[in-house]
Amino acid sequence: MKEEPRTVGTTDRRSAEEAETEVLRAALYRLLARFLAAPPDAATLAVAGGLGDEGGGELGSALGLLARVARTTTAEQAAQEHHDLFIGVGRGELVPYASFYRTGFLNEKPLALLRGDLAALGLARAPGNPEPEDHIAALCEVMAGLAEGSLATVDLAGQQRFFDRHLAPWAGRFFGDLERARAARLYQPLGTVGRLFVDIEAAGFALAA
Amino acid sequence: MSERRQETGRGRREVLRLAGLGAVGGAAGLVAPGRKAEAATPAPTPTSGGYRVTEHVETYYRLARF
Repeated sequence: MKEEPRTVGTTDRRSAEEAETEVLRAALYRLLARFLAAPPDAATLAVAGGLGDEGGGELGSALGLLARVARTTTAEQAAQEHHDLFIGVGRGELVPYASFYRTGFLNEKPLALLRGDLAALGLARAPGNPEPEDHIAALCEVMAGLAEGSLATVDLAGQQRFFDRHLAPWAGRFFGDLERARAARLYQPLGTVGRLFVDIEAAGFALAA
Repeated sequence: MSERRQETGRGRREVLRLAGLGAVGGAAGLVAPGRKAEAATPAPTPTSGGYRVTEHVETYYRLARF
């Protein structure tokens, strides 16, 4: 393997910057996952409310907006919004599964491909768990785990491959829909954050390829 | 590692930095929902509309454990 070493503990400044970048990527994926898997509790809203927009940039501004809205949102309001967006009566306003976005149906080929790739990484859904793995939150959680090396050790090319195969084809569209969703208030800036981040990730991977 | 590779690695970090990724630093302590659920005593609190808290959390939690 000729990939960049993942060594931790080196004093080399470049490696320290690399490590920090991966920590931040993991944090952003995890933030998205945390809000999308289930509504944020008060503690999570407080963390989101403390995010700054320092450093500028479009993504920084979107995070700053998310922070402002998070500070005026209660856990109950967040739960209601999450319910209206993703659960609903019968179904929510959005259907946050890769298969649905890519084929119009749940549990189609994109899910099968994902399961194969997860298995290759040593990841699997527990027996008896009915929830499909191609939920956007699960995909973000996998990306977080790959970025920080906690779920599986893959080099950047491996992360790019997972991203290209399972997020790039639809995640930007999903986050755009989230931005525009009728029920979205707290989730509106989260949608912006997600949409921008997916683009930035794609650009970053392209530069590293 | 080739020099070109170092250069491109830097370009990638620069893209992420300029976009404002640093603003998420304060969230670095967030844990995966599943791991949190694991730490806490399982006390599902169904809220309005019979919302089920556990399903997606389960997905991840399991993913994270493997």
